[in-house]
Amino acid sequence: MLHAHGVTKRYGAIRALDGFTLDVAAGEITGLVGHNGAGKSTFAEILTGLVEPDAGTVLIGGRTPGAARGDVGVAPQQIALYPAATAREHLRLFGGLAGLRRRDLAAASDEVIDDLRLGDFLDRRTGLLSGGQQRRVQAAIALLHRPGLLVMDEPTAGADPETRQSLLAVLRRRAADGCAVLYTTHYLPELAELGATIAVARQGRVIARGTGPELPGSLT
Amino acid sequence: MIGSMRRIAALARHNTLLRVRDPGPFLSYLLMPMLLMAVLKPLYLRAVPGGTSQVATGMLVMFSVLALHIVGAATLSERGWHTWERLRVTRATVTELLLGKSIPVYAVLLLQQVTLTGYGIAVIGVRPAGAWWLLAVAIGVWGATLLAIGAALAAVVRSHGELHAICDIGALAVTTLGGALVPVALLPSWLQQVAPLSPGYWALTMLQAAIRGDVHRTLTAAGLLLTVGAVAGVVACRRLSRGWGRATLL
Repeated sequence: MLHAHGVTKRYGAIRALDGFTLDVAAGEITGLVGHNGAGKSTFAEILTGLVEPDAGTVLIGGRTPGAARGDVGVAPQQIALYPAATAREHLRLFGGLAGLRRRDLAAASDEVIDDLRLGDFLDRRTGLLSGGQQRRVQAAIALLHRPGLLVMDEPTAGADPETRQSLLAVLRRRAADGCAVLYTTHYLPELAELGATIAVARQGRVIARGTGPELPGSLT
Repeated sequence: MIGSMRRIAALARHNTLLRVRDPGPFLSYLLMPMLLMAVLKPLYLRAVPGGTSQVATGMLVMFSVLALHIVGAATLSERGWHTWERLRVTRATVTELLLGKSIPVYAVLLLQQVTLTGYGIAVIGVRPAGAWWLLAVAIGVWGATLLAIGAALAAVVRSHGELHAICDIGALAVTTLGGALVPVALLPSWLQQVAPLSPGYWALTMLQAAIRGDVHRTLTAAGLLLTVGAVAGVVACRRLSRGWGRATLL
């Protein structure tokens, strides 16, 4: 589903990605770990089509990130919500932008509302929600249109255990349905719960790949 | 094409909702000129020929330029909320995003100008001698010009404070220079020389010509303003299509 080979990206003198290579198959959850500045978020931004790589190949379902935008679900690292709009209004907006018609949108919304337990605060403005609730709304937007690739950039940062558990459960189900998931995090236990393979990024490239037990302790 | 229209409609609906939930600036830029028109009318009637038209169009132009803040804030807020980048990763193209955002803001600008024009006619006593379509063209063109300038401003400023300062200082400078407060003919001669450089000058010229029924003068000024708007629109589109990346200036 995701094929990235030899991707490089520079910001002035800083080499954010330096030959970054990673493949994620349909139905696979890959945890991308690494220190701050390892290139995780830059790679995630390239997958969303927001940033163009300087060199290398990135294909999502055989298409460039720009062409595949409709088939990618993104939960960005930062909270990106309209404070004056409710969770329901966010789902309506982003469902509409994903091309979901009224009935499909209602069905898809019901599914993510149940999966992420949004019901209690669905009609409250997101500016009034807790950090964990905002994280859930953000994840719901990413999941809403059932994309083929999910890019979850530290989706549980600052989230409470309930949020974390509900999100991990829904990601496992989506992967079982054939969705490829790229999950960046600093919390390795989450990746074990997800049954994810781990890709370790350092200085703009993937230096090791495998399941938790396969990787040397010094890397994880 | 249908998909594109639906995405624009979804964005326009959402942005209308955001505007409705934050009505303060709009009401301020609507009520203040109404009050000033009524208070200043006797002064303008004694001071200048055509004082009724001057006070109505002058206040309309001044407060419509101040409303640039509404246009700019609508775009700049997306940056602070990180939602612009979020929108850019959807299927919507930048053109669709800009149209979906612009339509409700344009409607706000038109509503302000139509209301103030109606107030000028019904309460202040402006008597349009020309066809109504001429006034409609003038209001539509001025709204579009402001929309483009406001979007361009939002694309280049670094904070809400900066936007506020530019809108306030710029509005007073542009409209005063354009003859909104004092007719250009009464300004110091050196200011009269540079007045045509101000979009406010052409907006006032266009609106007053539309009220008089001067088709040629109205359309000439409209053409000039549309050119200014087109340049500003291109700047806004180019800048906003790149996004702000990880800039953390807000």
